[in-house]
Amino acid sequence: MSDKPAGPHVPVYLSMDDPEPMYAQIESQFRDFILSGQLPPGTMLPSMRALARNLTCSVITTRRAYENLEGEGLIRTRQGLGTVVADIPEEKITARRREPVEKAFREAVRAGGRAGLTAEELRHIMEEALLAEGAGTDQSTTRRSKP
Amino acid sequence: MNQAPVISLEGVMKSRGDFVLGPVDLAVEPGHVVAVVGPNGSGKSTLFGMLMNLLRPDSGEVALFGGRYPDDEVAIKRRIGYVPERPTGRDDMNAVALGKFVSRWYPRWDRRLYRDLLGRSGIDPGKRFGALSKGMRRRLSFALALATSPELLLLDEPTAGVDPIARCEMLDEILNFVRDDAHGGDRTVVFATHVVEEARLIADYVVLLADGKFLGLHEKDDLLENWKTLWVDVEPEGAVPGIVEVESGSPARIVTNSRRETSEALLARNISIVRSRSFDLEGILSHLLRRGGKRQRA
Repeated sequence: MSDKPAGPHVPVYLSMDDPEPMYAQIESQFRDFILSGQLPPGTMLPSMRALARNLTCSVITTRRAYENLEGEGLIRTRQGLGTVVADIPEEKITARRREPVEKAFREAVRAGGRAGLTAEELRHIMEEALLAEGAGTDQSTTRRSKP
Repeated sequence: MNQAPVISLEGVMKSRGDFVLGPVDLAVEPGHVVAVVGPNGSGKSTLFGMLMNLLRPDSGEVALFGGRYPDDEVAIKRRIGYVPERPTGRDDMNAVALGKFVSRWYPRWDRRLYRDLLGRSGIDPGKRFGALSKGMRRRLSFALALATSPELLLLDEPTAGVDPIARCEMLDEILNFVRDDAHGGDRTVVFATHVVEEARLIADYVVLLADGKFLGLHEKDDLLENWKTLWVDVEPEGAVPGIVEVESGSPARIVTNSRRETSEALLARNISIVRSRSFDLEGILSHLLRRGGKRQRA
């Protein structure tokens, strides 16, 4: 079908292989764009139907995503004016940025548990990952890694 | 959203000869696109006939915009754009004459949209309806329905006999019709199709009909997220929530209709999921149709 998005085109995508539900995938991608400043406050977002059309998903899914983002205070919907990125205080951005990282670590720890790894082995994997990603030299990220 | 439903059917039954449709219980909220999917002869047109008061249900209640037939018929129909499967009584009129004729009954007739749609569809405005190709007749009927500026579009097999490119254009027009940035997001579409791809592309909900049996109103994305094929190291014994099919083997293959519940139940029994695969909508709907089974003829 021809692609006639109303409002800005945001690079959101959906994967059916992702165990996350579709609305959560949309939510987390928008959250990342907003908290990283790629979508600054005041940016106009596509309408729920336009986004659904773009992603070939239902408007129920995009509405759920927008409602949750609005509940978090990341976006604002004004009747008749559409949806825009909200003004977000700096400290909230910092706190918010940590959240997905903490979540990812907890998930990794659970995966380790399922694989029968010890806490020490997990710390080792973490060290290796930091080194492999070139982050191991940054003092702020290695400080507490070896008690 | 707790908006009053645009369409509400309660316990609706209709028999025609030895065919029985229903009971149908259905509520459609404004702002959604609903695909009515089912094989030929499953009762789609009977359902549309009752929504348009062309057929009276044998029992049950049909309400549109909160109103009922026959008392609110005029008020209801002014708000509906209907494309029947086989329009009658149009053959001798051309597009211009049809536009004039239909516009008299609809105060919100959109002349400009009608002209645009004729242009975009490549319909010769001077050619008799009966002399147009089947696909062009469909598009003209569709343009007439859209130009009445309805709040509800009822489309019975709108794309039957339409070529693939024109079909895409029509699906696009349907999505333009429900644009929430231009129309406030409370326009509703119910369309019948036996092409699952059309439901996949534009529907929010899918209504399934098989041989007159109503197999529910399903949220499309919910189906896509929840129906999975799982390969597991050990075949589970006893009842596991969500499982609709098991094929023994190692690994065993399971089909579930509620991914999360099934995964949690398997995890609790120390059964590992080796692989997981999504279904396409076609696969899910044919499962549901098979499981819906055949109704015994009355």
